[in-house]
Amino acid sequence: MAHIQDLLAAIGLEPERARMFNMSAAMASAFVAAAQEMAGQIARLGPSPLRDPLDTSTDSERGE
Amino acid sequence: MIVAEQKSLDEIKTLIGDAERVLVVGCGTCVTVCFAGGAREAAIVAASLRMATKLDGNGKDVTDVTAQRQCEWEYLDEIAEQIDQADVVLSLGCGIGVQAIAEHFPNKWVVPGLNTSFMGLPTEQGVWAERCAACGDCVLGLTGGICPIARCSKSLLNGPCGGSEGGHCEINPDIPCAWQLIYDRLSAMGKLDLLMEIQPPKNWKTARDGGPRKIVRNDLRLNAEEE
Repeated sequence: MAHIQDLLAAIGLEPERARMFNMSAAMASAFVAAAQEMAGQIARLGPSPLRDPLDTSTDSERGE
Repeated sequence: MIVAEQKSLDEIKTLIGDAERVLVVGCGTCVTVCFAGGAREAAIVAASLRMATKLDGNGKDVTDVTAQRQCEWEYLDEIAEQIDQADVVLSLGCGIGVQAIAEHFPNKWVVPGLNTSFMGLPTEQGVWAERCAACGDCVLGLTGGICPIARCSKSLLNGPCGGSEGGHCEINPDIPCAWQLIYDRLSAMGKLDLLMEIQPPKNWKTARDGGPRKIVRNDLRLNAEEE
């Protein structure tokens, strides 16, 4: 994960856009907490600068 | 294997310059197994360049392909069409691969994406160490299979030197003294008598000191008799 974050920084993106959480499939509350933490993190960082600001399509519509 | 490391993305961007169409060429051999320039790394470098150049405001058309071996013409012929369509080729092969592409496609600009480091092996996952210096006159038969040319910092033939301390090299305490390793191995194998013979100065003519090297095998050449 450190390598990926270094790569994101070299590209010019915020390294904290990617993180890895370890947990078992039975840890539902930990999963929810991690998802909420990551969603808040991404919301603070804002949309990816790679995305066209005028493009309002969803990821699935773009095939991503 | 030949061991290499990727250049930084900044350096790669500088090498690519103003080219619009970039082809990243991986190599399926040595640099694949040392995780520097195989198909996976070629795809990652290509994606990174697409994103980085887009963020820089000059998004480039970056694609990738991997040759089984960049150092042989027939494998380069298989990717000739992709190379033809590129403004610049970023080779993730070793220095031989870069030169093979430049030689085989004389009208194509080729730049290196790796720093070729040495010939060695993985001593553990994620760690590679030098083992051979390609001196052209192998002495491993005298040293128990441990190379004093590549592994002794001074390439001594009659070691160890006075800088061997506790089995480590004075150049860097992280480096094991090659001559300590040689002594220990010959001792364990009951062959310490090999060390009683003083080795004469090495003839470095077979190494790089004799200039660029070449091997010709007439028994293998297809047109040897015609010449």
